[in-house]
Amino acid sequence: MRTSSLLALLASLVFVTAAEDGAQVYNSLCVACHGPDGKGLNGLPPFVGSDWPKGPAARSIKIVLNGLTGPVDVAGKTYNIDMPPQGAVLSDEKIAAALTYVRATFANGAGPVTADEVKAVRAATAKRTTPWTAEELLKAHPFPPTKSPLKHLVATVYEGKWKEMPDFSMLKPVLMEDFNVGIIDPAQSGRKEYYAVVWTAQFDASEEGKYLFTFDCDDFGSLYVGGERIAEVKGIGPLGKRSKEVPVMLKKGLTPLRVEYVQYGANAAVVLAVKGPKDKTPRALSNTKLKVVKEKVSIPIQPKDGVAAIYRNFIDNTTPRAIGIGFPNGLNIAYSADDVAAELFWNGKFMDGGHHWTDRGAGNEPPAGTNVIKLSDGQGILLEGAAGNVVRYGREKEGSEWKFFPVNVAAEFKGYDLDKAGNPTFRASGEGFAVSDAWVPEEVSGKATLTRTLKVTGDKPVVIVLARGLAVSGPTDGVAELAGGLLVRAISGPAPKANANDKSLTVTLKPGETAVLGYSYR
Amino acid sequence: MKHLSFLLVLAGLAAASVAAPAGKVDTSASESRQSEFYDRVEIPLPAGEVCEVSSIALMPGKKVAIGTRRGDVWIAEGAYDADLSKIKWTKFASNLHEPLGMFWKDGSIYAMQRPEFTRLTDKDGDGRADSFDTVCSKWGINGDYHEYAWGSEPDKNGDVWMVLCLTGSFHAHSPWRGWCARITPDGKFIPTASGIRSPGGIGANDKGDMFYTDNQGVWNGASALKWLRPGSFQGNPTGNKSAALLDFPAPPEPTSGSRILTERLKYPEFVPPSVILPHGIVGNSPSGIACDMTKGKFGPWESQMLVGEQTASQVQRINLEFVNGLYQGAVFHFLGGFEAGLIPVRMDQEDGTMFVGGSNRGWGSRGSKPFTFERVRFKGKVPFEMHDISARHDGFEVTFTHPVDAVAAADLKNYSMDTFTYIYQSSYGSPEVDQTTPTVKSATVSADGLKVRLVVDGLVRGHIHHLLLGDIKSKAGDTLWHNQGWYTLNEIPAK
Repeated sequence: MRTSSLLALLASLVFVTAAEDGAQVYNSLCVACHGPDGKGLNGLPPFVGSDWPKGPAARSIKIVLNGLTGPVDVAGKTYNIDMPPQGAVLSDEKIAAALTYVRATFANGAGPVTADEVKAVRAATAKRTTPWTAEELLKAHPFPPTKSPLKHLVATVYEGKWKEMPDFSMLKPVLMEDFNVGIIDPAQSGRKEYYAVVWTAQFDASEEGKYLFTFDCDDFGSLYVGGERIAEVKGIGPLGKRSKEVPVMLKKGLTPLRVEYVQYGANAAVVLAVKGPKDKTPRALSNTKLKVVKEKVSIPIQPKDGVAAIYRNFIDNTTPRAIGIGFPNGLNIAYSADDVAAELFWNGKFMDGGHHWTDRGAGNEPPAGTNVIKLSDGQGILLEGAAGNVVRYGREKEGSEWKFFPVNVAAEFKGYDLDKAGNPTFRASGEGFAVSDAWVPEEVSGKATLTRTLKVTGDKPVVIVLARGLAVSGPTDGVAELAGGLLVRAISGPAPKANANDKSLTVTLKPGETAVLGYSYR
Repeated sequence: MKHLSFLLVLAGLAAASVAAPAGKVDTSASESRQSEFYDRVEIPLPAGEVCEVSSIALMPGKKVAIGTRRGDVWIAEGAYDADLSKIKWTKFASNLHEPLGMFWKDGSIYAMQRPEFTRLTDKDGDGRADSFDTVCSKWGINGDYHEYAWGSEPDKNGDVWMVLCLTGSFHAHSPWRGWCARITPDGKFIPTASGIRSPGGIGANDKGDMFYTDNQGVWNGASALKWLRPGSFQGNPTGNKSAALLDFPAPPEPTSGSRILTERLKYPEFVPPSVILPHGIVGNSPSGIACDMTKGKFGPWESQMLVGEQTASQVQRINLEFVNGLYQGAVFHFLGGFEAGLIPVRMDQEDGTMFVGGSNRGWGSRGSKPFTFERVRFKGKVPFEMHDISARHDGFEVTFTHPVDAVAAADLKNYSMDTFTYIYQSSYGSPEVDQTTPTVKSATVSADGLKVRLVVDGLVRGHIHHLLLGDIKSKAGDTLWHNQGWYTLNEIPAK
């Protein structure tokens, strides 16, 4: 009995291997993101045109088993969307079948993947519980070097301290060497600081057409193509801001290419890349690669037709329950509903939705404008000598764990009203009292101003924090100046008071009292 | 011992793959027949606007409000009309924080925003909301994109139920992540159930019991429709630590690598998933929930649950029954071909129009448009389908929508059944395991031809029972639109 059932099991195992259908696995689990044609759907990464599914199977197996997190460059674009792990879902056989299908269908030339390979990788990575990063995977399983179009690459090295390009014809080289790798690398000089290299090569154009060269270096250099200087990076400085992009028309075949490069001090780097007529992405000709910068999508959010704009999403440097208001006079605030306080003040542009309104919208977005002032942190409505009895829930990190606890505060956010011009009146209340906090844009003596009206009703006096944790000068003649150049002018009602202890500016209102304040930049 | 269980797992894999070709769903074929029975229409959205529909609220006077992931609320007039080209959209509010769940009540739109539950009112009557009342905002959020808050329509007490996704869908870095809570009309926050991972929608059945969909991932071998019995634990212990905030008893700390049945028998508060949606077979990520209470206007599915599906851009159909104190039932493929990943599903119970909306931003979907708003209506021709599967002490009873051809329906070779479950574990998802193949011993057709009583040898408590029908035709000669169902047998009924 025992033997026969074991035999039956083994028989079915053979059947498993034969029956796993990679296309079926792909079309039920992978297709929604990577697309039926492997080209990626809805802004998710493709297989077609990607180096990732090619080469060592272990790289792909690891991704399927444990997932992938963080930025990853695929076919010339940077993606930052997590791939969920499938190792707990799929058998070795199913993973092998799906990867074999992907490699055969979308990554021509990449060979099949066996269940044994998956099994071996699974065993070797059994302790891994978190998704991989692209960096880790490429370190362990790099992409194969591509054949460089730089032929007959020769590096001629000179020693000296130059702050501008020397005349190399007048200098005596210390070293001259061939580099068949066809990749320009300052390390080929064998030196760490104060030297120059002239690389000469024949650039092999595979066809006639436009070639876009990108050139940058630390510190300075020139790029010659076809005997002509096409790009120059001048002076001492790092990579990045001085990068040059120059198109050159080339005939099919060999064209002379020359790079003159000077390193002043340490931190040597040369970036040389070329994008041919048929290339989708630039090809690196240097060991330092061109950084692929993801095109940032911009969706400006601005007041329109004289009506204030609102933005409810995660705003940087305030709390998660932030409410941004962009007024038509170019002044903006972010009100924290957690702290019942106006916490940020800035001018110029209001917000950019490009970050939160594309992809999954992770993280905080800073204000789009300028002169951002953090008015306060923590609760903005206080009772004199009492914490209050509104219960909220807070958190605190202890080691790697978040610990939660109830917190008693004076007041809780109750919402807001918008007038026809979109101007908000924020509402908060605690036991026995309510606070309203209205903001209206105005021009006062030619200056963009926000007029703020604070009103308390109920049965007890309330302290309202206008600023805390930043330098306050004054108030003098009813005007306090906050660090960063924001003026807070008392227009009517009880006057704000500065407190040197916690660098705060507060106003205390008794029931029925109203304070009117004007905010403008100096 | 270790070897033996390894072999069992392997055997399980084998059975799964044997069943797989049969279980493979040719959605294109079933979707091509859809137009015989249902009329699916795209509703034009405001021109030039990005409307990633995340909420739908039905309003008086045949108006329909949508909420979008960017936070806009628009109101449509004419969404029910035959000529949709004349639809009129009015913007009611802008840039809220990703509303996931909206309804209309007493002259206001209520929206579950990520940070707060809000009442939006147009007090001056100019067509735009001017008063935004924060009804409740007691839960924690910290800027993580996954910390969604999904809200229901009010229950019979007027309470709104909400489910709070875990941080990043793996952690609880803010208070009450991974919990269900009720919000009373006066704004009280009542944590109601623990053990939630990553919800995609929430809605009640015809009895007023609340359900949500939870997505495959850690502690979820597959996605499921789950019953939010007050005081229950839903299976994911990540958010347990919030219980201490209100001195609630600590929720269960189940053993990883076990089975749901084993663990829930240890912990009476552990309510097992009512109906599991086998991963990759019945969609990948369930979303909005609507109960059909149209009294036939949407087809013969009274009291059944219709569940949206993000990845596969579908709507699945579920029949529920209550056995030994737990919900269970069967899921069937139903509607497909939607233009984007579906999020909200709303049924107009009077009119029988189902509205769905969706987006595929951030998560891919079979429907390839970035966003969509659609309506579906029953055309009047009842498809030949399994209406429901109901458990019996010794098998199942299958009810059909039309009388069956008695000869074929009594033929045992037209029934095949296999069962499986998932590993209940802290890692992401699970393969199908513990497969068995029960034997259908007899099939008895009722006198009216609507029911077939199956006596099955080898029911497995806790397993999904996959019933695949062969060449069964209706008396009138119709073929089945869909020929399989997946019944989650939490409990085997008494004789």
